[in-house]
Amino acid sequence: MPPTGLEPTRMNRKKGDKGFESPRPYKLTHQVVCINNINFQRKSVVGFVELTIFPTVTNLNRIKLNSKQCRIYRVRVNDLEAAFIYNDPTLEVCHNESKQRNLNYFSNAYAAAVSAVDPDAGNGELCIKVPSELWKHVDELKVLKIHINFSLDQPKGGLHFVVPSIEGSMAERGAHVFSCGYQNSTRFWFPCVDSYSELCTWKLEFTVDAAMVAVSNGDLVETVYTHDMRKKTFHYMLTIPTAASNISLAIGPFEILVDPYMHEVTHFCLPQLLPLLKHTTSYLHEVFEFYEEILTCRYPYSCFKTVFIDEAYVEVAAYASMSIFSTNLLHSAMIIDETPLTRRCLAQSLAQQFFGCFISRMSWSDEWVLKGISGYIYGLWMKKTFGVNEYRHWIKEELDRIVAYELKTGGVLLHPIFGGGKEKDNPASHLHFSIKHPHTLSWEYYTMFQCKAHLVMRLIENRISMEFMLQVFNKLLSLASTASSQKFQSHMWSQMLVSTSGFLKSISNVSGKDIQPLIKQWVDQSGVVKFYGSFAFNRKRNVLELEIKQDYTSPGTQKYVGPLKVTVQELDGSFNHTLQIEENSLKHDIPCHSKSRRNKKKKIPLMNGEEVDMDLSAMDADSPLLWIRIDPDMSVLRKVEFEQADFMWQYQLRYERDVVAQQESILALEKFPTPASRLALTDILEQEQCFYRVRMSACFCLAKIANSMVSTWTGPPAMKSLFTRMFCCKTCPNIVKTNNFMSFQSYFLQKTMPVAMALLRDVHNLCPKEVLTFILDLIKYNDNRKNKFSDNYYRAEMIDALANSVTPAVSVNNEVRTLDNLNPDVRLILEEITRFLNMEKLLPSYRHTITVSCLRAIRVLQKNGHVPSDPALFKSYAEYGHFVDIRIAALEAVVDYTKVDRSYEELQWLLNMIQTDPVPYVRHKILNMLTKNPPFTKNMESPLCNEALVDQLWKLMNSGTSHDWRLRCGAVDLYFTLFGLSRPSCLPLPELGLVLNLKEKKAVLNPTIIPEAIAGTQETTSNPGSHAQLVAFQNPFSNSQDEEEIDMDTVHDSQAFISHHLNMLERPSTPGLSKYRPTTSRSLTSQHSSGCDGTPSTKPQWSMELARKGTGKEQAPLEMSMHPVAAAPLSVFAKESASSKHSEHHHHHHHEHKKKKKKHKHKHKHKHKHDSKDKDKEPFAFSSPASGRCMRQQNGGWCPVTKS
Amino acid sequence: MVTCAPPPSEASENREERARAPPTPPRDYKSHRAPRSRTLRQGKMADTAAAAGAGGSGTRSGSKQSTNPADNYHLARRRTLQVVVSSLLTEAGFESAEKASVETLTEMLQSYISEIGRSAKSYCEHTARTQPTLSDIVVTLVEMGFNVDTLPAYAKRSQRMVITAPPVTNQPVTPKALTAGQNRPHPPHIPSHFPEFPDPHTYIKTPTYREPVSDYQVLREKAASQRRDVERALTRFMAKTGETQSLFKDDVSTFPLIAARPFTIPYLTALLPSELEMQQMEETDSSEQDEQTDTENLALHISTDDSGAEKENASVLQQAPSLPGSRNGEENVIDNPYLRPVKKPKIRRKKSLS
Repeated sequence: MPPTGLEPTRMNRKKGDKGFESPRPYKLTHQVVCINNINFQRKSVVGFVELTIFPTVTNLNRIKLNSKQCRIYRVRVNDLEAAFIYNDPTLEVCHNESKQRNLNYFSNAYAAAVSAVDPDAGNGELCIKVPSELWKHVDELKVLKIHINFSLDQPKGGLHFVVPSIEGSMAERGAHVFSCGYQNSTRFWFPCVDSYSELCTWKLEFTVDAAMVAVSNGDLVETVYTHDMRKKTFHYMLTIPTAASNISLAIGPFEILVDPYMHEVTHFCLPQLLPLLKHTTSYLHEVFEFYEEILTCRYPYSCFKTVFIDEAYVEVAAYASMSIFSTNLLHSAMIIDETPLTRRCLAQSLAQQFFGCFISRMSWSDEWVLKGISGYIYGLWMKKTFGVNEYRHWIKEELDRIVAYELKTGGVLLHPIFGGGKEKDNPASHLHFSIKHPHTLSWEYYTMFQCKAHLVMRLIENRISMEFMLQVFNKLLSLASTASSQKFQSHMWSQMLVSTSGFLKSISNVSGKDIQPLIKQWVDQSGVVKFYGSFAFNRKRNVLELEIKQDYTSPGTQKYVGPLKVTVQELDGSFNHTLQIEENSLKHDIPCHSKSRRNKKKKIPLMNGEEVDMDLSAMDADSPLLWIRIDPDMSVLRKVEFEQADFMWQYQLRYERDVVAQQESILALEKFPTPASRLALTDILEQEQCFYRVRMSACFCLAKIANSMVSTWTGPPAMKSLFTRMFCCKTCPNIVKTNNFMSFQSYFLQKTMPVAMALLRDVHNLCPKEVLTFILDLIKYNDNRKNKFSDNYYRAEMIDALANSVTPAVSVNNEVRTLDNLNPDVRLILEEITRFLNMEKLLPSYRHTITVSCLRAIRVLQKNGHVPSDPALFKSYAEYGHFVDIRIAALEAVVDYTKVDRSYEELQWLLNMIQTDPVPYVRHKILNMLTKNPPFTKNMESPLCNEALVDQLWKLMNSGTSHDWRLRCGAVDLYFTLFGLSRPSCLPLPELGLVLNLKEKKAVLNPTIIPEAIAGTQETTSNPGSHAQLVAFQNPFSNSQDEEEIDMDTVHDSQAFISHHLNMLERPSTPGLSKYRPTTSRSLTSQHSSGCDGTPSTKPQWSMELARKGTGKEQAPLEMSMHPVAAAPLSVFAKESASSKHSEHHHHHHHEHKKKKKKHKHKHKHKHKHDSKDKDKEPFAFSSPASGRCMRQQNGGWCPVTKS
Repeated sequence: MVTCAPPPSEASENREERARAPPTPPRDYKSHRAPRSRTLRQGKMADTAAAAGAGGSGTRSGSKQSTNPADNYHLARRRTLQVVVSSLLTEAGFESAEKASVETLTEMLQSYISEIGRSAKSYCEHTARTQPTLSDIVVTLVEMGFNVDTLPAYAKRSQRMVITAPPVTNQPVTPKALTAGQNRPHPPHIPSHFPEFPDPHTYIKTPTYREPVSDYQVLREKAASQRRDVERALTRFMAKTGETQSLFKDDVSTFPLIAARPFTIPYLTALLPSELEMQQMEETDSSEQDEQTDTENLALHISTDDSGAEKENASVLQQAPSLPGSRNGEENVIDNPYLRPVKKPKIRRKKSLS
């Protein structure tokens, strides 16, 4: 077992401050990267690298480096030719073309492959043999220079070429190339030690066309022409020790802008975009000032470069002294919506310059510190720039996100500690991927990981105060900057690496506080806390009896023990109480300060010292409680479900000044559709001092309440009169004022309100005609001529509003959608969409927001049956050459179509695009969208699910995506969503279903199916009669969907597994087929699944039939599966079992886990099944004339069938 | 049947050729053939003309038959033309002609003259006049393939016959104007023998212009619908002239969508939308101008720098895409490595030294 990257860190802890110990037997001090030739036409790169290393052991004879994709011509060590071996196990993860298709197996193999080349474990793809002539030299620990000539031809990852196919020279065409990738991906474009912990100084040289600019890390020393004056060479020096993973490059015909405020900062953009660049970067110096001020530390590099490029891999990528941004972040002064987003991106990248680029990490398990600190200081910047409300709102949003994710998929572990070989305590057994390496992580998990990291940093701040926190950061930075100026020999460079232990140590040094419990809870352990709260007021004792329960058994949760703040707003004021949450105490008595004195007219003091008048008539006469908040400061990563009366939520919404509290009360009020809630929401909507995001969410809540109250609702549709008052002309209330977006708050409200209004429904569940006319009028009278800002986002939201107003079409009989039977309202909507979409071709809007909204709206119309469902339009917009936002919107529609219409053709089209599209981001995004909106899931019968698809996806993740970590993990995610962890259910039983173990005289399940299958007795298998019994023995409620739940640990279960598989072949839904021939099983499954569509039969039926057949017929199914036993070579078994051994522990654990939950899950499944049945039925309800009529009669009117 | 030998003289041959094939484009024949009623009338006229015949008498009888003055006018014109044709025939040496052939020749002549008139009118209108001038006629004749130079000689030919001007028949009378409105009765103080009031419109004030619309609502309404109409018309036009996509398979025209067309550089249209360009044209952003001066300051440093260091490079420097034109002036020096001049290869320098 290779040593994991963490071992040095742990050693380090024991030894104390000695510093970082490299996993490599040498130390890299300096590296030269020289790219002599870049050919845009052929998309190729030629160059060399030279690494200067010092051996740290005397017998160094092999040097392992990272290199992927590069063709290596020649390696020389100190000018002597050296032999080298190149081996990359990640190219193809599972080599043997076995049919098992088991994701569990794949994930283990993939993790093993990644660690086999993991530089943090001292490994690499490229192994160089030190020439024997130099051995003596090495023994003296003298310097070695490794010179490697390499080239890259049409790289699929690491470097991305953008070459528009138009006339002209490459510079005129705007062709450019840039480095990209997820985590340490530098090995994709030059050989290096691709680790964040191996620092060295750099010399970078790039020879490019004279019309181009090469931007890279460090200082541009000089630019020199080549002899023919056609090219020039950019010489960069990076004297601050930097990890190879933080090296980047961007070459293109960039326009150059020197920042007018800071001359050492240079911005680059593609031709013609200079005016936008000026505006976009005009704010950057303020971000610089802010960070330098709070960190009391100068920006560590002597210069900074921002490059804006097309077809970006990610929106923001930070590298040493330069950041690469998507060109789509550029905007002019007329764009409102993009401005804060872009500024956030700039600030984020700059925060990562300090923590992430300058300060690097020791190992992957220390990543959370860097992401945490950079996220945290970015949060401070947000607070300062956008205000406390925005900050708290953001924190709440992030908290909700991480809580939702962890509860859905299981915990996110910030600081995984991997015991060498002790895989039994794998901390992430609930996940379908390994968290040992960044490259095996699901992208979504990594996003959530970053989110959790900064939230935990905030928790630490809560504990030790911000002042200490900043002191810690300053200490880290000043240590690092002292180290960075040292020569290599002083061994100081490891001070530039941050580790979890080092970070915690400086926290305790600086603050003197023990934060170990906090770290244990949130960093060393995964999961969030789930509180349920309720209360009763005891009048006699004047005590609030608060009950707080926790759910710590569901996946993704953990138990919380410790202090918890509760804020109680009473008539006499607001009071904080700190409760101790303990093991067994659920009830907490909180004494109230005030007796109920509602009659005395007195102002009520709030938490912030403000005193307000309140109308207390809604209150409970006996209780002085206005509202109660649990953990108001969000100092626990938790979800709180708290019960309090509707009037308390209303008071909280009206009078609590904290935006988070307001947000929470809005969410809670959805459950109280009363006139009082309506009033509270309307009041908050009108209140201009209120935070605009709260007002925006109040809109949607109001729409929901209005729909619940539809029978008792009086007056005009919700928000209509409000909107009219705020935004329409005084004299003619149906005409909106000409646009003036000077007040951004009201701009956002103006945008949102119609979108929310369109969600209103009348008693027939249709959008009221009045609302539709109102929105159409808004569009009609929209006038932006006098506005300082562009209204493209506003218009896009109006189209969204139109789409929101669409309800499912009522189809009288199963007619084809044509123009003649088009609903007149839909006709109006379609008219607008057509006009907007066509106008976009003539006068396009910024980022084509309107096209995006139109495409979405068209898909909504299709989905609701107003317009024939057809992906052709979307497919044309999804083509390469459209703006990326349009492509994504169109692809989203195709993905949705694939799901709804179960189209195999479109699924193939999408999969093809995943493999061939030139833009990595789009490929990633398609996988992501397919995972989020899958055409089917592992528990679902679908005609799409067939063996060919399994093979295709398997191939995609096994070998098709080796050039892009992110893409491969995306493919794994999709595979997991579609087929689950074990063998996909649509696969036929493998030919070697059972093999005989002659030694033990037992028949066992083929180990290629499930590695740890345990032998069953020969007796049972050879007796076909007992088979029927087994089936009867099985849980009668289980069905094929439960397949993966079948436990492989016991004899019974493994037999059940087999019989289950046979059952699948036995289903009555495929009559007339010869069911017992295993050779035809392939076609059987596929036919079966298509025949079975929508009418799932229940298990008992099959088993009964099976029982009959089993006894009645001579040819028992089991015998057939025994058939290939003779052909099964024993060697296969031996080999397979050996290969599966190392993952055995893991599986064992896993199954125990499963067993425990089995009962629980069954229930769930059951429920789910019902749901899915209902869903399946619904299309019938649409199309069946009988049901359509029936619905009408019942309601006596025009009543649509709603689609859930 | 016409039994006539072709006249021997050259001149007559020319003329006949002209008469046979007037170089008018075929559409003109069409226009003359057009309305059925007219041919009927022509038929009638032909009858009368035949009655008049070559003899030239019986003019009266023809006019008597018709009652309508307008018809009378046309008849007279026709008759004159017939006389002209007959005299030309005589001039050419024909003794007699069949009625049908005279009729045909008349028709051709009329077509020819009409075409001259029509073309001349077009030419005159083309130059924004209402009255045709001589040059219009000349251009017309040239355009019709007539050699204008031969005209004076032809006019002065010896054997020409002079035809008296046709009698001026009464022009069609314009009918009496309608009386509009009720004439006002006399007020009591005016005796009834005084003349009646004229038509009310002659003295009642009827403003000919509309009040400019100042109502805000109406204005907005109008602006909105105008813009919408223009957009709709424009997009429909674009959709009709180019490739389209449709949401309904059976119907392509009701909701035509202009087909999606991929761009070679998609981000340019997305980030620099033409929509905003139009909006920006109206405004002049002062901040933008400030920034402009900033870069100018920036640029000037480059010029000072390179003039000091390496003059040879100055020309090369201008080629660099990023550097705007330089201008001498202030001394706001920015030291940025990307603005520094590109060095020449070292080896060449050595060569120049040695």
